[in-house]
Amino acid sequence: MPEIAIRTDALVKDYGRTRGLDGLDMEVKTGEVYGLLGPNGAGKTTTIRLLLDLIRPSSGSASVLGLDPRADGVELRRRIGYLAGEFVVDGRQTPLELLTYLGNLRGGVDPRRIDELAQRLDLDMTRKIKTLSRGNRQKVGVVQAFMHEPDLMILDEPTSGLDPFLQLEFSRMVRRAVSEGRTVFMSSHVMSEVQRTADRVGIVRLGRLTTVESVEQLRHRARRRVEVLFDEEVTADEFAAIPGVSEVSVEGSLLRCRLDGRADSLVKAAARRGVVNITAEEPDLEELFFDYYLGGER
Amino acid sequence: MLRNSFTKWLRDNRRSFIGWTVAIAAVGGMYAAFWPTIDNPQMRQALENYPEALLEAMNYTDIATPAGYLNATVYGLVVGLLIIVFSISAGTRILAGDEEAGTLDLILAHPVSRTRLALQRFAAFLVTVVLIGVALLVALMALTGPARLEGISIGDFAAMHLHLILFAGLFGSLAYAVGAATGRRGLAIGTGAGIAVFGFAANGILPQVEGLEWIKGYSPFNWLNGGAPLRNGVQTGNVLIMAGLIVVLVAVGTWAFNRRDVAV
Repeated sequence: MPEIAIRTDALVKDYGRTRGLDGLDMEVKTGEVYGLLGPNGAGKTTTIRLLLDLIRPSSGSASVLGLDPRADGVELRRRIGYLAGEFVVDGRQTPLELLTYLGNLRGGVDPRRIDELAQRLDLDMTRKIKTLSRGNRQKVGVVQAFMHEPDLMILDEPTSGLDPFLQLEFSRMVRRAVSEGRTVFMSSHVMSEVQRTADRVGIVRLGRLTTVESVEQLRHRARRRVEVLFDEEVTADEFAAIPGVSEVSVEGSLLRCRLDGRADSLVKAAARRGVVNITAEEPDLEELFFDYYLGGER
Repeated sequence: MLRNSFTKWLRDNRRSFIGWTVAIAAVGGMYAAFWPTIDNPQMRQALENYPEALLEAMNYTDIATPAGYLNATVYGLVVGLLIIVFSISAGTRILAGDEEAGTLDLILAHPVSRTRLALQRFAAFLVTVVLIGVALLVALMALTGPARLEGISIGDFAAMHLHLILFAGLFGSLAYAVGAATGRRGLAIGTGAGIAVFGFAANGILPQVEGLEWIKGYSPFNWLNGGAPLRNGVQTGNVLIMAGLIVVLVAVGTWAFNRRDVAV
């Protein structure tokens, strides 16, 4: 197995007048979970579709598992499991029928393996897919991506339709796949989704890879809005001087502020009072990107 | 039925395929059963009083014989049109329909080549068309006695149905090819319908125009029953034209499909 699972080299994709990818250089190592993070329209799905040979690059090249997606497409896709963000199939069949067919396209998949995955995700295999909820449909997609134990999993916004319990189960499945030496490449526009599972994160914006960092580094950079509700009135001064905290405002017993990086100091300061509730917003990606772009100037 | 894309396509479309087979055999049989009501002196008298040009435009010149009647009303009209509607819709669905529904991606992300998938599905369509042709043949054969359709041999019936099957395959391959090359369902249906309308006009009305007689040779309807296969057996030239066009359309459509981006 080559050390690099996915490599793209100056990958460009034009859609008529708009540009989907603008020179993407990316490397995903074998055996890691790589998260491609970016806002909608940044080029995540375009990248994935190029890797699967569903679309062809305008220029540049890609190599997946050491193979050319175009020339060796069939051989390559045998070793890939793919989950689309929006898992759409003909609803007039049951998950069992669909998964059996898809397994046969791969030369047959052990029915026990399908069964085991369906049980783990609590998926009813005998109801027509059109009668299933969105989350349950997405489970069918998860099963077909994992069932043949592929070397590489390409997952486009994989947990968008899953409830928190299943997101957790999904993360476990991903970690387990990686512990077996498989590679996972996933895209997302939500930082928490990537943080939960990925080892490294590439940030894509306007069709280019702007940064690659470990999840740990990224967490440090993240800035989020935090609200703390106390059981008594507080003053802004108590919190203004805490490292990483800015834009502090207080309304009676409610503190609002912005937090950069680690939450430790803020939590310890808050703990001196009686805390009723803490909410922390999902870090805003646009803000994060803005940071990377103008990092030096701010 | 879940073994490959050929059987899966038959299975996924079984309701539509069976429905059309039954419908076409039933409607064709029904029209054939009307023959005794046409076959009487008054009707013949009435037809003789029609202007010759009108009869030619309607392809009714030979309507006073069983073969001519079946040609004009069953093959050249009701069954011909029904089978076109079926073939265009089925041919479109093979790629463009699936693509616009967003369900093609998943299959193409599997280890199947685009050519293989497309050809397996097209083969499933062809099997269905043969099935329709055979079902209608059986229905008409059963009616030859009760509906007094005398004087047509089994061989000529079979020849006519070979033409009919190729005629359906031609419209199916046209819609398939446009859909394969563009991924656009509406365009595939529109092109098929446009050619059907042209073909119908070019086989009846247009040749009545002075200097336009040659256009008949370019009508799929003429390839279907020109030369009267029901009376004269297989018309080799027309069979070769239709079979050749099917091969070319499928080849070009599949080639174009292999080269283009698949839509989300």
